[in-house]
Amino acid sequence: MADRDAASRPFSIFNFQFSILKALVLRPLFREKTRTALTILGIAVGVAVVVAIQLANQSALRAFRESVDAVAGRANYQIVGDVGNIDERVLLALRPLWKEGARFAPVIDVEGMLEPQGQPVRILAVDLLSDLHFRDYRYARIETGAKDQALGDYLALFRPDAAILPAPFARERGLGIGSPILLNVLGHRRTLIVRGLLQAEGPATAFNGNIIVCDIATAQRSFGLAGQLSRIDLMLPDEKLVSRITLPEGIRLERPSRRNERVEKMLRAFRVNLFALAGVALLVGMFLVYNTVLISILRRRKDVGVLKTVGTAPRQIFAAFLAEGLVFGLAGSILGVALGYVLASAILRAVGRTINTLYVTSAPQAVELTPGVLLLGVLVGTVLSLLSSLQPALEASRVRPSAMIRAGLQQRVAHPRMLLLLAAACFVAGALVSRLPPVGGIAVAGYVAVLLVVAGFSLLAPAIVQATSRLFAPLLERTFGIVGKLAAVSLPASLRRTSIASAALSLATGMMVAVALMVGSFRETVRIWVDQTVSSDLWLRPAKGLSNAGVALFPPQVADELERLPFIRDVDRVRGRDVVYRDTIISVGSGEFDVAAARGDLPMIAPRSASKALLDAVRQQGVVVSESFAIRFNMKIGDAVELPGARLPITGIYRDYSNDRGVVVMDRPLYVRTFNDTAVNTIVVYLKDGVDKDTARKTLERTFGPKHRAFVVTNGEIKSEVMRIFDQTFMITYALLGVAIVVAVLGIVNTLSALILERTRELALLRVGGLSAGELRTMLVLESTLLGIASTVAGLVMGYALSWILIYVINKQSFGWTIDFYTPTALIAASLGVTLLASTLAGLAPARLARRINIAAALKSE
Amino acid sequence: MQISLRDVSHDYAASDESAPVHVLDDVSLEIASGDFAVLMGASGSGKSTLLNLIGAVDRPTRGQVFLGEVETSALDESKLTSLRRTAIGFIFQFFNLIPTLSVAENVAFPLSLARRPKSEIAERVGEVLQRVGLPHRARHYPNELSGGEMQRAAIARAIVHRPPLLLADEPTGNLDSKNGALILELLREVHQSLRPTIVMATHSDVAAGFGDYVVRVEDGRVQPKLKIEN
Repeated sequence: MADRDAASRPFSIFNFQFSILKALVLRPLFREKTRTALTILGIAVGVAVVVAIQLANQSALRAFRESVDAVAGRANYQIVGDVGNIDERVLLALRPLWKEGARFAPVIDVEGMLEPQGQPVRILAVDLLSDLHFRDYRYARIETGAKDQALGDYLALFRPDAAILPAPFARERGLGIGSPILLNVLGHRRTLIVRGLLQAEGPATAFNGNIIVCDIATAQRSFGLAGQLSRIDLMLPDEKLVSRITLPEGIRLERPSRRNERVEKMLRAFRVNLFALAGVALLVGMFLVYNTVLISILRRRKDVGVLKTVGTAPRQIFAAFLAEGLVFGLAGSILGVALGYVLASAILRAVGRTINTLYVTSAPQAVELTPGVLLLGVLVGTVLSLLSSLQPALEASRVRPSAMIRAGLQQRVAHPRMLLLLAAACFVAGALVSRLPPVGGIAVAGYVAVLLVVAGFSLLAPAIVQATSRLFAPLLERTFGIVGKLAAVSLPASLRRTSIASAALSLATGMMVAVALMVGSFRETVRIWVDQTVSSDLWLRPAKGLSNAGVALFPPQVADELERLPFIRDVDRVRGRDVVYRDTIISVGSGEFDVAAARGDLPMIAPRSASKALLDAVRQQGVVVSESFAIRFNMKIGDAVELPGARLPITGIYRDYSNDRGVVVMDRPLYVRTFNDTAVNTIVVYLKDGVDKDTARKTLERTFGPKHRAFVVTNGEIKSEVMRIFDQTFMITYALLGVAIVVAVLGIVNTLSALILERTRELALLRVGGLSAGELRTMLVLESTLLGIASTVAGLVMGYALSWILIYVINKQSFGWTIDFYTPTALIAASLGVTLLASTLAGLAPARLARRINIAAALKSE
Repeated sequence: MQISLRDVSHDYAASDESAPVHVLDDVSLEIASGDFAVLMGASGSGKSTLLNLIGAVDRPTRGQVFLGEVETSALDESKLTSLRRTAIGFIFQFFNLIPTLSVAENVAFPLSLARRPKSEIAERVGEVLQRVGLPHRARHYPNELSGGEMQRAAIARAIVHRPPLLLADEPTGNLDSKNGALILELLREVHQSLRPTIVMATHSDVAAGFGDYVVRVEDGRVQPKLKIEN
């Protein structure tokens, strides 16, 4: 009676639960330090990758967002054009609102280059007097260089050549008051004089401080922007005023944050893909937790049986093993967040570089660990660990005490046929799901299909391990005698544990193979595409490399001058810009279609002939669009692209891998008319027959180099630059998968070590029977090699299945790219070789453990 | 094979920092070649430790152990392994067959380790299975056998390579009396036909009756041999 009273007191119940926890979980965890550490490390690495990717993504976007905010200042609305600049006369329409408290500031906000360094800079041109309402210049002291800041010094800021620089920017480049700076903006090259320095606060911090402020009149005059504005910033005291603003077509009133939202939307597929890759490492980590908790239960089944026999309730057993998952999850997550923070700085550079090259100018600097990411890391790690330990904990709580006390019962896989059926169901479901359309531009169905295929292969793991062991048994026995035989039969004997380790490694290998196939196919497709597309002889560009393509421009005269040279057959003036279309950002490009039709070879999807599509476009005042554009906006030939003031019929769809936003290309005269923009990004040069490319290049460099700061590049250089950018973009992908492989190999070490602990007596008996320590090591290494073989073979098959989904579903839906399938044989062979080698070596650690077995003590434990 | 233990002591280091446990204390013992010696004593008296020391599974803390002319207590691990592989057969209370190998494979284990030719292995395995009465169980796995059959298979494995020394630790401890008697008969038959030295640890007086003499182990010390009158 007294006992029952004691047991009914909550404190005692807690105590009792705690002693179960201590006996079943905590003590063994401390006793088996290596295994505990391996599991925690496995989760930590998975969490770290997720946290790092999230942090790097966030930092890259934050850098952009903060720049936009710093430049937007206190404006609560902006008036912007859909396709470019707006007419400054729009300001007149706003005048009646002034007396109602509305304030407006005209802004020119463009990218340019500081020469001769070729440094991309942002030009923010404002009305220096009225802009104080909008941008926070309170801390941005204007330093004029003089001790007594006389009125005359301030007036110097309004001189037609005045530029104001952030002080750190000037200091880094050895510039001071009075220094001349050469700017190339929109193809106009002008020298301005530094007349003021800003402290690094407010707008002076935008774009990483690479910003130059000047008066709006100076910018309009210097850079060919007379009468034009990039936007008008507004402060509207009352939302009701919004309805009173009427704007011409193609000009819209929106919140400044819309720009951020559009950029975030543009980057979404890229970010989701990175995040999904990071998830692979986490998924592999989940297998690790599942395996560890399962092994814990198997190893402590006798204790569980005894506890159950003396009356411990199933839910208490369940809670104890769930707590083990929780302990692993919490410890791994906390360590993972810390690791992720460190890793993020390394990843940030890669992510930032890719975003910079492919999407928007953003200069991420530092990683900031926000509470959101911290919580995400801890939650993801802990919840997944708990989920992974759910099934084994449930199983432990359900099994009868007598069954738990008898050894060996839990090692075989229950219902092998059921597993095969379930696997088949997963594959069928995966095939069906992969046919579903994307949701909001994200290939949700593709990701689900990937999960289903992974689940299918995981369910097949026991059968694969068994089949591999059976297949290799004769060979192993022939080569290694009884040692080989023992290795081959011992894996299926503890199938539940070995198959989970194998499933984890298969998953990591499968993903590695899939991504190698995807990237390899993509790379080969792009290489062929570049070969076909870049058919010209030389390119004349105002900047080195492709990364600053949008920033540096030529005035149109350069091309005219070039065309007059005797050895030039044709020139194609290429110009592009970002445009808002249906509230997302797309690219609009232009070129000379008659030249491209005659000389170029645009890879078409429809119609077959590139020249037909291009000439049709010229005739119909139409456009050709990229495949990604057609897929994103569900358009086909004959449909029209509506831009303000223009309705442009589509006459062709071509393959394009330059960006995933979608590209609309039009003939140059139509572009100039539509955008009132005569600048040129690149001049594509076709030489006359028989003209030596090198001689032509040298002549062009001599003639145009110093005069127009032009760089001449050969098509070979362009091709290798494209491939360099490609490889740089996918480097992080490989790194992430490498991490997944590391986690999986940790899993093998972990599982085999656990098996050694469990098989201590069995191994001791083998030793008594005359098996030498060396033979024991051979046996264990053979076991891990067999596991490696089973996993890599399964991984290879899984990899092909997954790559199909990656290429034809996820890539197509996320980016709108058609990729032809190629197998990068060497890459796949190398990654499989590394995995196999790693899994073989993984057997060495447990073998060391086995060598240390005290035979007499092990026999005594009988 | 003659066995000599000279002033042998053995301690087990306790897991914490408390004093070590003395299991054997200054034991000297001679067992002549071809003897069937029986070790008897209460649980924890040190019988199994003595058996482990003789079987080259463990090393004494102090003193010397000789098997024939060889001082096993001075051998390195690889030499001990090779000694166990060639010269000693073990029989355990819990049979300790390898669950993943069939009966024939279990029995063949010592010969396979020694890389004997397949034909020789097949012949010898067939022979000993016949001897222990299990030819029909050759292809079965241990979990398909009864306790008595498992122990017979274990004996077959212990004698298949004709070791000069057989060590048996409570070979009937896990069997009913009928099966126990059969196993002891088998051991006697093996002893008479192959003439190995046998050292058997047991609690059972009945089992002890099958040996030539009894050595009592009490509190880590051995008492003088007690001849068994048959």
